[in-house]
Amino acid sequence: MVQVALKFPIFFNFLIQWKLKMIELLMRILVYGATLSGIYALIASGFTLIFGVSRIMNFSHGAFFILGAYFGIALIHGIGLNPYLSIIISILIVGLLAAAMYKSIISPVREHEVMVIIVTLAFALIVEQVILLTFGEHGISFPSVIEGVVIVGTVLIPSMRLFVLAVAIIALIMLWTFIGKTRLGKEITAASQDAEAAMLMGLDVDRLLIVTVFISAILAALGGVLYAQVYAANPFMVLKSLIFAFAIVILGGLGSVKGSIIAAFIVGYILTAVIVLYGARWSEFVALFLIIAILVLRPSGLLGVKEQ
Amino acid sequence: MNKCLKSINFKDKRILGILVILFISIIVSRFAPDAFVYILGLTYLFIILAVSWDIIVGYAGQINLGHTVFVGIGAYTTALLQVPSRFQGTFFEFLSEMPQIPIFASILFGGIAAGIVGFLIGVITLRLRGWYFALVTAILPFIFIETTIIESEIFGGEEGFSIGLERALAPTSLGKYYIALALMLVSVVIMFTIVNSRVGLKFKTVREDLNLAEAVGINTVNYKVLAFIISSFFAGITGAAIVHYRSTVSPGLYDIPLMLLIILAAVIGGLGTILGPIIGGLIVYLTRYWWLKGAISAFTVAGLPINDDIILYIILIALAILAPEGLWVKVRRFVSET
Repeated sequence: MVQVALKFPIFFNFLIQWKLKMIELLMRILVYGATLSGIYALIASGFTLIFGVSRIMNFSHGAFFILGAYFGIALIHGIGLNPYLSIIISILIVGLLAAAMYKSIISPVREHEVMVIIVTLAFALIVEQVILLTFGEHGISFPSVIEGVVIVGTVLIPSMRLFVLAVAIIALIMLWTFIGKTRLGKEITAASQDAEAAMLMGLDVDRLLIVTVFISAILAALGGVLYAQVYAANPFMVLKSLIFAFAIVILGGLGSVKGSIIAAFIVGYILTAVIVLYGARWSEFVALFLIIAILVLRPSGLLGVKEQ
Repeated sequence: MNKCLKSINFKDKRILGILVILFISIIVSRFAPDAFVYILGLTYLFIILAVSWDIIVGYAGQINLGHTVFVGIGAYTTALLQVPSRFQGTFFEFLSEMPQIPIFASILFGGIAAGIVGFLIGVITLRLRGWYFALVTAILPFIFIETTIIESEIFGGEEGFSIGLERALAPTSLGKYYIALALMLVSVVIMFTIVNSRVGLKFKTVREDLNLAEAVGINTVNYKVLAFIISSFFAGITGAAIVHYRSTVSPGLYDIPLMLLIILAAVIGGLGTILGPIIGGLIVYLTRYWWLKGAISAFTVAGLPINDDIILYIILIALAILAPEGLWVKVRRFVSET
């Protein structure tokens, strides 16, 4: 090896550099992918939770996602709140807004499946237009709550990304414990397995659904806040974030929270790899290609329930 | 009046309806200002979109949120067939030598292209039950817009490109108006005949009860795909006609706002009625592009973040809550009760 290196110094040098570059690239995909996956897991798990309990396709889920970021930004810049407090308040506002939205516009049309999709889509578009008119179409970032970088080997990683990942994972674990361990969570699981049976057992499914919508919206809003810390929030994310959420929930299996968390990391990594290697403009194609591939190979997803 | 209408049979009523529409359209085109006639022509084309959306959603019961993509496919197909020089200097160089074909042939090709894409997507998604069709069609507009931007040398990016005034439907705006009218009448009559035939009956069975439909021996997947192909074909034809009406093509025309307008038209008219979306289309398109223009400036003065799109979306939500089976159905019921 040494002799080879001495004979072809340039080639060897190139090899080392190439190796370093590959390590850096891999590290970047590893960390960036984890951050993105964590954020998408927050959106997708809420989306699939609502679907599981009520069979509602909530097209306004992306609106909750991005509203979390914009409310937070508005609180910081508008009344000069500190970032942590404004994150919490904005998440709660979005949760309440979602519950109010469910009560006022989804609940009256629940029997008409087409109308549910139409009203939630229309609501999402209203949010998009209002954000467009108040904040403009350019991306806005959330003021970082954590500065600095972490050095792993030779690669610099902003500590913000690690923080985002940590928060996302904590939130997902909390969701997991809530669903599996608390009474309310178990009731929600029961309702998602069989709404009618749950109703016969004396559960107030409508109340459970409002709780589910509230929790899902909070998760989405948290995802939005975290997203705006790393990337920039823009009004078009209202619908664009849904594309990837769809790919995730279809891969994970519609209605399965566990499946959607696993799928979020698969989709997130594929997406990041494509973005890092080929550029962001191909991301929509990745989502479509993934969805088509899943539908052809395994339509029920990883852990999905079969539709009646 | 009502008794008199009942005494003539179904077929006569249809012909009577067409004659009335023709008569009113000719009167309007004689006396209305030019700008209104131009918008009215586009409204006729929009009506085809609303009715064709109704076939897959209202009759076959499959929620299609990407109808505008098929409009766009038809539009770009005809635009590129008419202006093959767009391919010069790209990977598809060989296509730039395509022979010039008549406008109406290329409009037909637009419909066929949309139908083929509809077939491919339908075969993959419609064989599954549940929501997959709605989810996949919902993301199609993003893919479509992104494609036109990535391949902007061919598709002209966000601005699109002009196909030249000499390739318009007709040299005068009145001529274009009449061609749009004829296209609407022919398309609507064809679609009306389809949904009132045995095929249409099978669409409805698939919508009402999949299991029952399968039990009586209907191949539900085939009929769902067939409904989707018909719907996409007419969307493609209309998209192509719109290009020759406006003489330009750009992706913004086929984005989500148009989709919501189509939905609004169908919801006002009532799904699964054909006649409903015609009336809904007329009301919605004229409201949006003729009356609503400028009406909202009062709000913007007040400092509220509101534009015409927001007003339309609010109307849509209100309508969906108040009359989920369609406003027109409600009005008709009210009339027949009194």
